[in-house]
Amino acid sequence: MAPELLLRASDISYSSGGKNILDKVSFELYRSQITTIIGPNGAGKSTLTSIVNGLIENHSGTIERLPSLKIGYLPQKVYVNTLMPLSVQRLMQLTQRAKEAEVDEALSQTNVAYLKHRQVHSLSEGELKRVLLARTTLGDPDLIVLDEPTAGVDVTGEIKMYELIGEFRNRLQCAVLLVSHDLHLVMSKTDQVLCLNQHLCCSGLPESVSKHPEYLALFGDQAADAIAVYAHRHDHVHDVSGQQESCQHD
Amino acid sequence: MIDWLDDFLVRSILAGLMMVSIAAPMGCLMVWQRLAFLSDTLGHAAVLGVGIGLLLEVNPMFGVLAVVILIVFSLSQVANFNNALSETTLAIISHTGLAGGLILLGALPSNSVSLEAILFGDLLATTRADLLMILLTTLILLILLLRHWRPFVALSVSREIAQAEGISVRKEQFLMYMMIALLVAVLMKVMGVLLIAAMLVIPTTSARLLSHNPEKMVFFSAVFGILSLAGGITSSFQFDWQTGPSIVLSATAFLIITLLVTRQISLWTRR
Repeated sequence: MAPELLLRASDISYSSGGKNILDKVSFELYRSQITTIIGPNGAGKSTLTSIVNGLIENHSGTIERLPSLKIGYLPQKVYVNTLMPLSVQRLMQLTQRAKEAEVDEALSQTNVAYLKHRQVHSLSEGELKRVLLARTTLGDPDLIVLDEPTAGVDVTGEIKMYELIGEFRNRLQCAVLLVSHDLHLVMSKTDQVLCLNQHLCCSGLPESVSKHPEYLALFGDQAADAIAVYAHRHDHVHDVSGQQESCQHD
Repeated sequence: MIDWLDDFLVRSILAGLMMVSIAAPMGCLMVWQRLAFLSDTLGHAAVLGVGIGLLLEVNPMFGVLAVVILIVFSLSQVANFNNALSETTLAIISHTGLAGGLILLGALPSNSVSLEAILFGDLLATTRADLLMILLTTLILLILLLRHWRPFVALSVSREIAQAEGISVRKEQFLMYMMIALLVAVLMKVMGVLLIAAMLVIPTTSARLLSHNPEKMVFFSAVFGILSLAGGITSSFQFDWQTGPSIVLSATAFLIITLLVTRQISLWTRR
């Protein structure tokens, strides 16, 4: 059986202040698939997620959504006014009610259950990212949209985080739309890559994208690096927070 | 009618309590979304509404309501609402409204209006009709707040998350601005146009020092609001001060006390 179509974007164009940001971008999101948007800075990656989320409405082209599509969203930046008291537990229940046990379970997935009673202002960038990542899984979402979830997380924590995102996809049977600029790490877990530079340069399976001339032109040096990162072997394991869990030396 | 409502002090205290209970949640939302300046603008421009109301010989509160709703509506029609709320735009609206209002009031027969009551409010002059108006507004606002609390808090934290996760940010925000307009129109009667923002900001700031959650901050804002009201009315009687300014000063006194106490406590616990 073919996976369920959740969202279809057709010929999305968007300009702001006389500057073209997106040009006729089309793609589809299916249940249980991880789609990664890669592209250089200013390629329109965040704009595209804002359009998917319904935050930007004055674009051309059409977005067709499953009518009851439930989204969990991790934005690139969250700035909470310090005049607003907000515990992690309350942040978890921002847009929906959730039982305490569900909140605990969600937080423990990303190893941040101990932060539950902390104030959001007192969290480090990495801690906040992990809390927000846990938050997106609450309430059985159909689609999780993650805008640079690994910013502020170190490289080994990053690898673990991508593994977690893969687990979420398997357990929740949801689609994942991931924005990233570190292409080497995301490639292996991804079902579909959208290589974006205002227009869609190329899209498809990671292997085919990585051989595409436009991709190589955009990421020439980095594309070569990607292979180097995989070749690097670890002699110990890190958890998401970057702490060593075990270490075996020869 | 009920006898005890004949006492002006009972009427003023009731009016004050209702205002405080609604100013607490609204004030918190406005502080979280950095909208305190909007209430100031609407307050100042409300003077124009008073003038228009008196000119048309209707209850000035209706004139105020018309003006503040018109302002909020026009602001919301601008393509980029948040840019429209810039300090400059708001200052222009604020002072144009105030100036226009003062000219209108000046043109009216001098005995028909007390400028002092408009600027500083007159809690002790609350009539039965005022009381009914305040009761209705408070009820409407409380019901709307209860129904929309989660989206309002969500968009105070992140408009992006709220929108993505199914909240219509534009609709909720529009509703909130309309509620602010209604609040200002009624608060004006009690606090006067110059002191509305103080009642929305000072008790909430004290409450922030004691709160770890949005809902607790609302609760403590109401507590500080009631304390300020009590302190203000008492000192107003004791020293023959004007009521509105007395309430504001007592709110500030409670803020200073709270600041000192919480700082002392945090010093002790660190030791």
